[in-house]
Parts: sequence; structure tokens; C-alpha cells
Amino acid sequence: MSSEALVAGLTLLSFGIIIAAVAFGSAIGDGIVASKAVEAIARQPEARPNILTFMFLGIGVLEAFPIIGLGLAFYLLLVVVKVPDMIAHLSVVAK
Amino acid sequence: MHEQIGEHITWLWPIVGTVHADTIMTTWLVMVLTLVFFAFVGKSYNSAYQTRRQTVIEGIVNYIADLSAGTLGQRGEPFVPFFISLFVFIFVMNQFGMLPFKALGLPFGGSPTADVNTVVPLALIVFSLCWIVGFRLNGIRQFAHLAKPSPALILINVIEEIARPVTLAARLFFNIFVGELLFIVVASIVQAKVAIGFFNLSLAVTFVPFLIQFFNLFVGTVQAFVFTLLAIVYLSLAIGEDH
Repeated sequence: MSSEALVAGLTLLSFGIIIAAVAFGSAIGDGIVASKAVEAIARQPEARPNILTFMFLGIGVLEAFPIIGLGLAFYLLLVVVKVPDMIAHLSVVAK
Repeated sequence: MHEQIGEHITWLWPIVGTVHADTIMTTWLVMVLTLVFFAFVGKSYNSAYQTRRQTVIEGIVNYIADLSAGTLGQRGEPFVPFFISLFVFIFVMNQFGMLPFKALGLPFGGSPTADVNTVVPLALIVFSLCWIVGFRLNGIRQFAHLAKPSPALILINVIEEIARPVTLAARLFFNIFVGELLFIVVASIVQAKVAIGFFNLSLAVTFVPFLIQFFNLFVGTVQAFVFTLLAIVYLSLAIGEDH
């Protein structure tokens, strides 16, 4: 295996690990926020619009971190290592 | 991938140096559109009877005014126009990326908020407002909260104070930027005509850009709202403790 293939493979692997970790954490956080909102609405149905507003606010604040992680992962994949160019080059070499 | 994301047409201006031409043009376009629209709405304002347009605009204005009144109380009243304009400006800039100006070959287009140079000044505007208003109301005691639980924590508090505008800007920037990036990535998969065996991946993901654009619509609205609400919250923290 050439060193270029190793770099491309390891970058893709790290990309996958970043996405998985980010999705894991944000899914748990969103689940907690939504379940608490449902509980609060069940307890006080008349406060529903207010609770929904703050639920979306909480999700908006919380979603920022996975999105930042995703942006940095794409930066790693497309700008720092340039994996698509690398793979195209590798497939040309293989032929 | 022919269409490059994160690359801008640049102008060379005297004194300031290189500037992003497309971001500036799009921001000016947004400013002109929103100013003309709101001048029209304000001019046609009639309290005697309500038109449909007036009801919609009053809904937005009332919503943000209620939020501000609920968090800031009576002292927040002079800042309500600022928050409304902040919300409308960011909202229109976020949704502007959906219009295909760049695809039509025009030099402007794309969301101006997908550029750090738009987002950081917005966060700095909010924080200079907070610091100036807090300083005028509380004087030098404004900065007493930095040593609040104990003076040993002053470093952590200073870091927190700096991290707030940074995260405020980064949150808005990355949400809009990654939305555009995901759109381009999926579109490039569709363009590349990928086929794995008998499974045509490109045909299967043809509908995904539509979903991503709906997601962007939602995210742009929520992030404009979050930015405004966090500005209100930070201003309420700056204004004082005797709330």
C-alpha cells in the first residue's frame, strides 16, 4: 500500500470517527431536550407555545457544536488532505 | 467539484486591502431590499384597521418585543428596534443563499452569513452594545462580576467573557456554512454518476438536495432567532443584577 493510500484511508477513518462522535452526542442531547419538553407540555398544556419556543432555542444552541464539528471534519477532508483529488489520482495510478 | 465553496471574488480596496466582493454586494442587496420593504410597510401603517401584511409584521415585532420585555423588563424598551432589525437582517441574509444567483452567473449570491467577515462584526456589535450599556448604567462596577465568586477565578471569567462573542459568531457561521457545504457535497455526488454494482447511488440521492434545502430553511430561521435571543440574554446579563 502506498503512503498516499494510507493517508487517504486514515483521513476517511478519522472523518467517520468525528461524524460518529458528533452525531452520538448531539442525538443524546436533542433527545433529552425533546423529552423534557414533552414532559413539561404534558404537565402544563397551556404553556405549550412558550415551551416549544425554548425547546427550539435549546436545540438551536445545542446543534451548533455538532455543526462546528462537521464543518471542521469537512475542512480536514476537503482542504487539509484533499481526499477526493487523492482518490482520483490513486484510481488513475491503479489503472 | 467545479463550484468552490468558501472561495470568494475579491476586490482590492485602498487602506483596507482585499475584500470579499460577493459578500459585500449581497449584503448591500439585502440591506436595500429590507430597507425598502420596511419603509413601505412603515409608510402604509394604519392603526384604524388591520391589513393582512400588517398583521404578519406586527406578529414578528410583538414576538421579539415580548421576549425582550420578558427578559430585560422595562429597561429593555429602547433596544427593541435593534433586536428586531438584527433578527430580520440575519434572517434575510440566511435565506438569501437559497436563491440561485451564483448558478445564474451573477457575481453576487450565496448567504453573506456563510462568511466570517459578516458574522464576527455582528457579534462585535452585540458585545460592544452590551459593554457600553453596562458601563453607562453601572460604571466600573460593570466589571466587578469578573471576580465574583472569588478573585482567584478572574482568569476563567475573562476567558468566558471572550468566548461568548466567539461562540456567538461561530454558531451562526458554521450552521449556514455547513448547510451550503452539505448541499454542494450531495450535489457533487449526484453529478458524479456513482454506480455501485447495480445500485445507482446518484439516482438514489437525487431528492436529498431538496431535503437539505428544507433543513437549511429551518436552520436559518432558528439560528437568526437564537442569535437575537442570545443577544437579549447577554444584554440582560450586562445590564445588572438588581433585576
